[in-house]
Amino acid sequence: MSDSERHTPPVEGSVRKHVYDGIEEYNKRLPNWWLFTLYITIAFSIAYWFYYAQSGLPEEDGPRVEAEIARIEAERMKTSFELTDANLWAMSQQALIIEEGKTSFNSLCAACHLPSLKGKTENPAAIGPDLTDEEWVHGAEPMALYGVVDKGVLLKGMPAWGPVLGAEKSAAVVAYILSYHEAP
Amino acid sequence: MPKPSRPSIDSVTTIRDDGSRFFLHPADVRGFFSKHRRWTGLLLIAIYLSLPWIDIGDNPAVFLDVGGRRFHLFGLTLAFQDAWLLFFAITGLGFALFFVTSLLGRLWCGWACPQTVFLEHVYRPIERFIEGDAVQRRRLDASSWTKEKILKRTAKQIAFVTVSAVISHLFLAYYVSLAELWDMMHTAPKEHWGAFLFVFVFTGVNYFNFAWFREQLCIVICPYGRLQSALTDENTVVIGYDEQRGEPRGHVTDPEAGACIDCNRCVQVCPTGIDIRHGLQLECIGCSACIDACDEIMTKVKRPTGLIRYDSLNGLEGGETQWIRPRTIMYSILLLVGMAVAGWSISTVRPANMGVTRITGAPYIVSDEAVRNQYLVRIVNKRETVQSFSLEVIGAPAAFTLTGFTGMVEVGPLGEEVFPLVMQVPRSEYTGKFPLELVLHAGAEEFELRREIEFIGPDPKLLREDSP
Repeated sequence: MSDSERHTPPVEGSVRKHVYDGIEEYNKRLPNWWLFTLYITIAFSIAYWFYYAQSGLPEEDGPRVEAEIARIEAERMKTSFELTDANLWAMSQQALIIEEGKTSFNSLCAACHLPSLKGKTENPAAIGPDLTDEEWVHGAEPMALYGVVDKGVLLKGMPAWGPVLGAEKSAAVVAYILSYHEAP
Repeated sequence: MPKPSRPSIDSVTTIRDDGSRFFLHPADVRGFFSKHRRWTGLLLIAIYLSLPWIDIGDNPAVFLDVGGRRFHLFGLTLAFQDAWLLFFAITGLGFALFFVTSLLGRLWCGWACPQTVFLEHVYRPIERFIEGDAVQRRRLDASSWTKEKILKRTAKQIAFVTVSAVISHLFLAYYVSLAELWDMMHTAPKEHWGAFLFVFVFTGVNYFNFAWFREQLCIVICPYGRLQSALTDENTVVIGYDEQRGEPRGHVTDPEAGACIDCNRCVQVCPTGIDIRHGLQLECIGCSACIDACDEIMTKVKRPTGLIRYDSLNGLEGGETQWIRPRTIMYSILLLVGMAVAGWSISTVRPANMGVTRITGAPYIVSDEAVRNQYLVRIVNKRETVQSFSLEVIGAPAAFTLTGFTGMVEVGPLGEEVFPLVMQVPRSEYTGKFPLELVLHAGAEEFELRREIEFIGPDPKLLREDSP
């Protein structure tokens, strides 16, 4: 059977007007299920437009994003206690917290401040200053100390450990350092 | 509008001129290919259903733990950091499909595609069991809602929904493991809304697809079917009708007629509703039902079988099939290159990963004594046991000092840990940036991971002018 025999000759009007490279196209109806997907998108777009642009029900983007950022920040900063000088001093008396702080200190901070915390005092070749003496470079208050651990001192090469440790562990590190000092 | 009694090559059989669906009821078919296709299909289904149950090592054979970001494949554990291997998996799949298609046409569609496998070996047999053969099913479609029809339809839909739910649950098990799935099935949906909704929607999609949509997916949606005209040529083995032997069609007693007795069996068994005698068509999924149908008839009328057969367009016209041709050579070279590179890259996968990043802040620090570079080394343990590691630095100058990551460190099961790496070179010794190689040695194991980093600092000339 040749090609021309296979095809039924097109009836007048059943072929669309355009021709590309000799290829013609029948003017057939779309499957109904296909049309139905179009109707669904139309219905969806109306519902979408009404809900988001007209109803006033959904929260606006600005406050929504800010609320989400605040939630993430709160999660990151979440501690079972309030961060204050007094609380950090109190933590420096608790053996479990000191132990936790010591673990973090030895794995991260000891590289520069040495496991003894004495830094340059013990070994002049060490990078970090002594944390056991009474001389503080960036403030003596526990919260100032916490700020240094959390945010770092970028020019001096002290990294920000907040993103790595989180608030709870950073506070434990501060408590561990404070445990080498006399509480007021 | 009634459908013409025979499929036409000018339009899709399953869509009537008014756009409504013409629901096909393919007739039963028996024969060599049907038998082997059934066994292939059942084997594939068995593999699909059993993989989550088989443990290799400490995990199921295939467990894509998206939540834990660990992907367990037949004993090999990959972390998220190994995602680059996906490139080879996807291109490999692509070239394998190209290669097979250029040689054997749509073998995949007819024999291995999940759409065909589930439809032909699960859903249609259920339909056949409950509603009877094609003639009975057509009669049931046409009949009014008698008690029998309500009963049969209800039974069929319940069976379809059940099977769809089983398929969807097992699908989820590939991502959360059976134990977790079992847990979820025993707790309220509100404890795991995401998973519940996924299985609910996936069951619905499966049910709709296999109960009603069926061949429309292959004909209208599947991009692979559309690609086949670009992947096949006149030497590709497809399912075809031998026109030279078959035409002109005629009655079995007509001595002038060809071998085709125009019994229409090939059309009745076709799951996409085409007439294979029109030649290769987009709708043909290469299922080989028409081959078995025609062979059965040819045997009955005592004529040689193979009037419809697996052959190339060249072969069907009486020529020779050229197996080796530029297309197949190209695809097989690409496939082999891809497989070789994929094999090599998988062989580089180790039970741990190492990432080395500069600590945020200043890229380097100049103190009174030294130039300093600070890095964080992140180690990902992909084992279910504790692993210990040590780090070696290669290429450092004599005056170089290293603190932080020295000696042995331990990383817990499937854990991630960071270790600082603080490197210094005395100001007087610093003569410009230099490369370093970090080698991470796993404690008891004979494997290591290597990374290149660079020690940087200011221009040595400026450093000397500025010396204290």
